[in-house]
Amino acid sequence: MTPTLRGRWQSRLFLMGTLGFLVTIFFMIVFGSIAPFYLLVLVTVLGFFWDIVYTLIQKWRWDHDWPPAFQLGAGIWEMIVLAALVYGADIIGMAPRPDQFLLHYSAVWLAVFAGSQSLMRLVFPRWRYNGGQWLS
Amino acid sequence: MYNSSNQPLINLAWHHPHTGQRRMMSAALPVTIGRAADNSIPLDSKFVSAHHVRLEERQGEVFVIDMGSRNSVRLNNNDVSDESVVFHGDQLQIGPFTFSLEIPENSSVLAGPATQLLPTSQIQRVAKMTAHAAVTPVLPHQQPLIRDTGTADFPPAIFRKKIVPVDMLTRIVGEQIEETSYLAIGGGLGSFVWVDHLMVYGVKRQDIVSIGFEPKPYGRYRRLCRNSQIPDHERLRSNSDSCPDNLWGWPGYAVREIWDNTSHGRLGQAARIGWQIFNEPLVQTYTPKAGVVFDSIDQEAARIGWDKIWRHGRVRAVRKTDDGRYVVAYSLIKPDGSTEHKLILAQFVHLAVGYPGVRFLSDLQEYREKTGDFHHVVNAYEKHDEVYDHLEQYGGTVLIRGRGIVASRIIQRIQEARERSGRDIRIIHLMRSPNTEGQKAGLAQRAVDNHWEFQPFNWPKAAWGGDLRKKLENANTKTRAELLDQWGGTTTADRLDWRDMVREGLTAGWYSIYFGTVLDVRPHKKTGQIATKVMQNHGEVALAVADYIVDATGLEAGIEGNALLKDLVTHYDLPRNGKGRLKVTNDFALIDMDNGRGQIYASGISTLGGPFAAVDSFLGLQYAALRSVDNLTAQNAPGLRRLNGLRSLNQWTRWARGVQP
Repeated sequence: MTPTLRGRWQSRLFLMGTLGFLVTIFFMIVFGSIAPFYLLVLVTVLGFFWDIVYTLIQKWRWDHDWPPAFQLGAGIWEMIVLAALVYGADIIGMAPRPDQFLLHYSAVWLAVFAGSQSLMRLVFPRWRYNGGQWLS
Repeated sequence: MYNSSNQPLINLAWHHPHTGQRRMMSAALPVTIGRAADNSIPLDSKFVSAHHVRLEERQGEVFVIDMGSRNSVRLNNNDVSDESVVFHGDQLQIGPFTFSLEIPENSSVLAGPATQLLPTSQIQRVAKMTAHAAVTPVLPHQQPLIRDTGTADFPPAIFRKKIVPVDMLTRIVGEQIEETSYLAIGGGLGSFVWVDHLMVYGVKRQDIVSIGFEPKPYGRYRRLCRNSQIPDHERLRSNSDSCPDNLWGWPGYAVREIWDNTSHGRLGQAARIGWQIFNEPLVQTYTPKAGVVFDSIDQEAARIGWDKIWRHGRVRAVRKTDDGRYVVAYSLIKPDGSTEHKLILAQFVHLAVGYPGVRFLSDLQEYREKTGDFHHVVNAYEKHDEVYDHLEQYGGTVLIRGRGIVASRIIQRIQEARERSGRDIRIIHLMRSPNTEGQKAGLAQRAVDNHWEFQPFNWPKAAWGGDLRKKLENANTKTRAELLDQWGGTTTADRLDWRDMVREGLTAGWYSIYFGTVLDVRPHKKTGQIATKVMQNHGEVALAVADYIVDATGLEAGIEGNALLKDLVTHYDLPRNGKGRLKVTNDFALIDMDNGRGQIYASGISTLGGPFAAVDSFLGLQYAALRSVDNLTAQNAPGLRRLNGLRSLNQWTRWARGVQP
């Protein structure tokens, strides 16, 4: 993957809004709580900031790319920060059970990761050439 | 029909212009023709230059090369600038002389890879052409348009015009001229990928024609791979999702290889590839096996009906017509090897003619010409397996020039020969200068190890689909050339086995690196080997003596080497880009070749220097195809519908099920 900043933002918005949202609805029903939805919104919004940082890191790499291992690393990093905000700063006002948080977060991450590797390419054939932009 | 040293033969027949006496000659290639007495065929005429032309064999094809003569060289009444491929039955004109060329049966000239698959009894008059016909027995139905009398003016004289009036053309031909909406010239991977895109976007097979030499779209590519020691089971330097058989790049070759291994119970191997693709390029970048790519193209070719689209032939010239289309003159090669001159009208044309030929370093070219030794000084892209056979039997020293991916593979092949045979085989690697610091661009820098510079592919990955692709597209002609110089250069893949092999060779002493400029290459009188005189960088002259020299510096990429492109560029005075290649729009349309509704697109190496860096890669061909077909869709070209969302998903499921688009 060689995403650009606009591509990252657009892909994040699309995948969180589709696959991430579907996964979150499932967990909202299972957990009987609205907390997963707030978490989804929070992780998406924070992501817009992280994407700026990631794009800068890419410039240090000869290929300006973002290997899958970096995607995983970023996912773990974002989770740590999110957990700190949810449990430390009580930012959403309703901290979910840690095991539920971990399960939901992992499921969303996996769905988005898999979607970025496959679905995006199939639905948007130009996506892979446009640094992850699906809107022109 | 070989001579004693197994060289390919050619028959020439001509009449003396004054006496009318008919002469015939059968000669081993290379053949030189000129006024001087040292030519294979000396001709006494003031209209013939001292050294006028040379006929030689390269990668299974015969070329005529203009030796820089002041007098022109004409092939079937077309000027040959620099060089051109010749076919059985072609007419070569030199001064007042006209030679009929015959390439005899079983000549090794025409023994392409397809030939080797057939029993010898099936190889008839023109071996390669017959072999192709045997693979694809049914050629598309065609009406003969122009009788090939062997002397007929072709392309017709009306092709001297910039705009050809269709009515007049029809009158001259005397028959209806065949028409098509889409014509893909080249018939190789570039054409195949473009046609594949057209069909996925909705165009019907019967509206597309492709003309080329090889029945398999990857025919020439595979031959170059095999010659440069990448047989089908070796891996290419190509990305997992660069799939000439799949517009979407998903599933890529890595996922398919994981799936294939899993379904055969090889879970360990599947996990290893999964781990590799996850860690790439941090540890080592995944690349697909050559054979797997070729098989996938075969499957896609069957799905889209490529055999009904492809025609065996050579395109001679393309001209604009007065009705906003193009007329294309081509020689159709028939199953029996004879040719027929044909015309076809097309609304939209695609040019993907590939690399014109093999490039030699000038001192090595000179050596080959002077000594006629084509066996000990070879290009890595020529067939040269006998070098390794000989090394395995007797040992010896190989001098390698160039330090790109091909050099890596050649060294690995020699290492295999060492290990297999146990013979004393040594490598002298001659480099122009030491390389201790990798290329820099912005904040990033490339890695270097033992003077080899690495990047996973021949351009930074972001030039394929990230910020660098945009940067190049937005740059002007001059900046594009500069950016390409900055990102490209000679690099090899960072493969652990290659790094180990170089390190081990240096330690053990069978591999050594020398730096310097070559002064000359000549036969070594004492030993009968080849001596390369090198001015080393510290000012001392050294003699490197070797049994073989392998030129691994690459392929000829200029457009002059291709007669068709050269004709087009000269006839229409087309602009060039910063790399001297065809100037195209960001949608790969040829600038100044649009004609009313008509449009000509190009892809591949002839567009290097334009909006995209990796034009000669699988992904580059896919990118150019996507851009040009999107551009055609925007112009409401026939049969095309915008590909996105559900339509794209639907087409992908058809691909996955193997159903035609």
